Amino acid sequence: MTSVMSFFDIMLVLALPWLGWRLLASPDLFRAVVLFISLGLLMSLTWVRLHAPDVALAEAAIGAGLTGALFLSALRRLERMQDSERRLDYAEKREEERQAPPARRRRSKPIAYGLALLLLVFFLVLLGWSLVKTSVSPGGLGPAVTGQMGQTGVQSQVTAVLLNFRGYDTLLEVMVLFLAALGSWSLTRIRQPLPEEVAAPVLASLVRLLVPLMIIVAGYLVWIGSSRAGGAFQGGAVLGAAGVLLLLADVTVVRQIPSALLRWALVLGPLLFLLSAIACMWIGGNLLEYPRQSAGAWILLIESATAVSIGVTLAALYAGGRPLEPSALEEAGEVASESGGDEGEGE
Amino acid sequence: MNTIFLYNFSGLALFAIGLHGLIRSSHLLRKILAANLMSSGVFLIMIVGAYGTDKGMIDPVPHAMVLTGIVVSVSATAVALALVCLVQETTNRVLLLQKRKKEQGRRTDA
Amino acid sequence: MPDTAFWAVCLVVVPLFFAIICFVRSALVSILGPLAAWLNAIAALGMTVSFVHSGPVRYAIGGWQVPLGINFRIDGLSVLLIAMTAVTGLSVSMYASGYFSLRIGPAREQGRHQHQRAYFWPLWLLLWAALHGLFLSADLFNIYVTLEITGLSAVLLTSLSGKAAARLAAMRYLLVSLLGSCSYLFGVALLYRCYGILDMAVLARLVSPAPLMWVSLALLTTGLVLKTALFPLHFWLPPAHANALAPVSAILSGLVVKASLYLILRLWGDVFAQVLPLAAYLLPGALGCGAVLWGAVQALLQKRLKMLIAYSTVAQLGYMFIALPLIRLDHGSSAWEAVIFLIMSHACAKSAMFMAAGSIFLKAGHDRINDLDGIKEVLPVTSFAFVVAGVSLMGFPPSGAFIGKWLLLGVSLASGQWWWGIMLVIGSLLAAGYVYRVACHLLVFKAPFYARRQFIPPVMEWSALLLAVLAMLLGLFAGYPLGLLEAGSPFPGHACLEVMP
Repeated sequence: MTSVMSFFDIMLVLALPWLGWRLLASPDLFRAVVLFISLGLLMSLTWVRLHAPDVALAEAAIGAGLTGALFLSALRRLERMQDSERRLDYAEKREEERQAPPARRRRSKPIAYGLALLLLVFFLVLLGWSLVKTSVSPGGLGPAVTGQMGQTGVQSQVTAVLLNFRGYDTLLEVMVLFLAALGSWSLTRIRQPLPEEVAAPVLASLVRLLVPLMIIVAGYLVWIGSSRAGGAFQGGAVLGAAGVLLLLADVTVVRQIPSALLRWALVLGPLLFLLSAIACMWIGGNLLEYPRQSAGAWILLIESATAVSIGVTLAALYAGGRPLEPSALEEAGEVASESGGDEGEGE
Repeated sequence: MNTIFLYNFSGLALFAIGLHGLIRSSHLLRKILAANLMSSGVFLIMIVGAYGTDKGMIDPVPHAMVLTGIVVSVSATAVALALVCLVQETTNRVLLLQKRKKEQGRRTDA
Repeated sequence: MPDTAFWAVCLVVVPLFFAIICFVRSALVSILGPLAAWLNAIAALGMTVSFVHSGPVRYAIGGWQVPLGINFRIDGLSVLLIAMTAVTGLSVSMYASGYFSLRIGPAREQGRHQHQRAYFWPLWLLLWAALHGLFLSADLFNIYVTLEITGLSAVLLTSLSGKAAARLAAMRYLLVSLLGSCSYLFGVALLYRCYGILDMAVLARLVSPAPLMWVSLALLTTGLVLKTALFPLHFWLPPAHANALAPVSAILSGLVVKASLYLILRLWGDVFAQVLPLAAYLLPGALGCGAVLWGAVQALLQKRLKMLIAYSTVAQLGYMFIALPLIRLDHGSSAWEAVIFLIMSHACAKSAMFMAAGSIFLKAGHDRINDLDGIKEVLPVTSFAFVVAGVSLMGFPPSGAFIGKWLLLGVSLASGQWWWGIMLVIGSLLAAGYVYRVACHLLVFKAPFYARRQFIPPVMEWSALLLAVLAMLLGLFAGYPLGLLEAGSPFPGHACLEVMP
């Protein structure tokens, strides 16, 4: 058995960097993204092999799945823009290219490139050697965690670390997600499907079947997170995937969700987490110090709210931007801003 | 546990390939892919460090760190991709370092 | 009287809360934003006062002690930097509230301004909260998360202006930031592998020369140096800072670069100081010299005011890195104090310069230095603010920069490594060059100035002036910050009152 596992390990160890190299070397971007998704799936397999099921779930859903979807969506947007501009000013671009100087940049710096590469290789060899030389620290913080598990109110060690011992980190991490949603809204508007893009009817009926199931699975993952692999992020990722499916199937109700409701859904997790942290101080502990008896309940509450927010955030990130506001003034303002005028308007 | 230790080198290789891609690629999308590769490499090294020698002695702190890292990574990627689309929109180029535009076929990178 | 830890928690929680509310109720943003700024300033003041009374504190978040939990470590350095962030942040917030209240250009621009205002405040408040979290935290991984929030929100603020140059600069900034964060995370991972600990104070006691330790320190430093834009990795900074909106430029140059700089100081001056040989400090010192020269020369050559100020930031950051070997050489602590003074006065002065430049840009419609003659007729307060800030940056007494450079000069001469002192002097002379160049155009040359009919609210002009004057007078109050710094200092010269975990 162990020789089979060793063989499996060696295959994985070799496959991961090879895939990484192939995906960067591939001239076709679509192929690169698909390879990236498969790399993500292989990585989640690796996490399972390394006894990290929580991470495997998160990687498969978020790292491979949602990130891949984001890349494909971005690729599509880029191509659409390139197509439309190609149709518009083909002659102009041809002229520009003829007059452009040849690309001397890359060819003229082989020495610098060679030196940098050498430095990198040297550094990596040094790193590898030092890793080999390091004596493995006995379990790191593992024994400490095991020792204190009784006071956490949960049975899963990873959940205990995430929401008890290092709950402040998780609070900030939830803020990072909120920041990403806020940022994508500040940058651009939601992608509108082109008139010729109509969702296939099969997809629509499949979505109608799958989405309720996914919601149930997400709820289960959040619930089970206190004792097995699971938790807010994994549940939230499944909810996000459900949201992405709804967007793909172009279910009209999704695009008509009022912006205010969407905003509240996005902040539900961060706000509740923050308020719970403050409430703990109010009760008389430190920040995020749950009362020992009901710690499990607090954690479940926080995780549920966070899972909902994470799902909405991930779907919003896929949607690509802020929803259309009803005011016509904003519309006019947007048209002006997208033309990017800088007539000394104070930068 | 020799074969588990090999994963360290796998992570190192991923980091190196990602770093090389981040610096040398000219297409912005490829740079973002490379950045994701780099973080995957780092995560791999972290989780391998958490794998205990005896059964059941798994250090959960790196697992929590990697979970946080994955979420942070997807957030940064989402912002980066939105920004790439905007850059393309306003400057008509996605090749960050190149001063001229090359004629591109569909979905190909120069 | 609430204690230090309570104020510290407020400093993180209040801006986060208001950022969320500003996002949900974007109509109320022009009230909630400045309100949050004032609350931040009050909390910082409360923490400073309480710190003066009770000394350094360690606060266990969640009630879990180190090494399991995350601690806030509130010592002199953190308090001073938070005070600096509070003052600078409040001024920039007041400036921004004036800036975004303007109706600029024809009526159709209103939409863009509403959009910018609606998103500026939540992003800025998140950035502010992350800065506070960074200065307060004692946990390496926690600092990674706050660094990410800082970097992402800075990038988003940079791209808020909507111009093509700003977006391109933001993209470059984001890629550099990702590279830096990944490198930092790698360093933290290796350190954890080596020592099994994430807390900085415990690490300082455990650290010993080992191959993995060197590698991880190199990775940490590389990541942080990328984010601080040390020469020669500074290429992303000038376009990003110059093309952003005026309040955003002030925030970026004044506060954001200080975050990673503070971390480098902590790591090289505190956590790893016992282990690093003197020779290791010469490299950042040399790069700092390069930064001072290169940044100042580039600043002299710039035609645009904001690019000049951005290159000046590159040069000024070089001083902080020149101070690193001096910190190591100095067996007292004057170099450490000098660096703090340099950081604080640079934050105030640079923000004031960018705020003034923003007002000038609005009034003149451009920021070409050569065409700004005579602007003092229409914007007297702003021109004066700019010149005062520039002069304080040069190191004119009694500014904080003067105190800092004076102390560094003293250390450099006392230790026999006089070349650092020469670099400081050359840098100051070059700074004088580019400041005088701008000052002549602003104040001296007479020409009729064709101003746009653009009303500049007084709050914009006066906030710049107040900050500049503060930078100038920082040296007068030298004793007070020095006293604060003594508490919890990592140096054996001071009584180390830090409560150890």
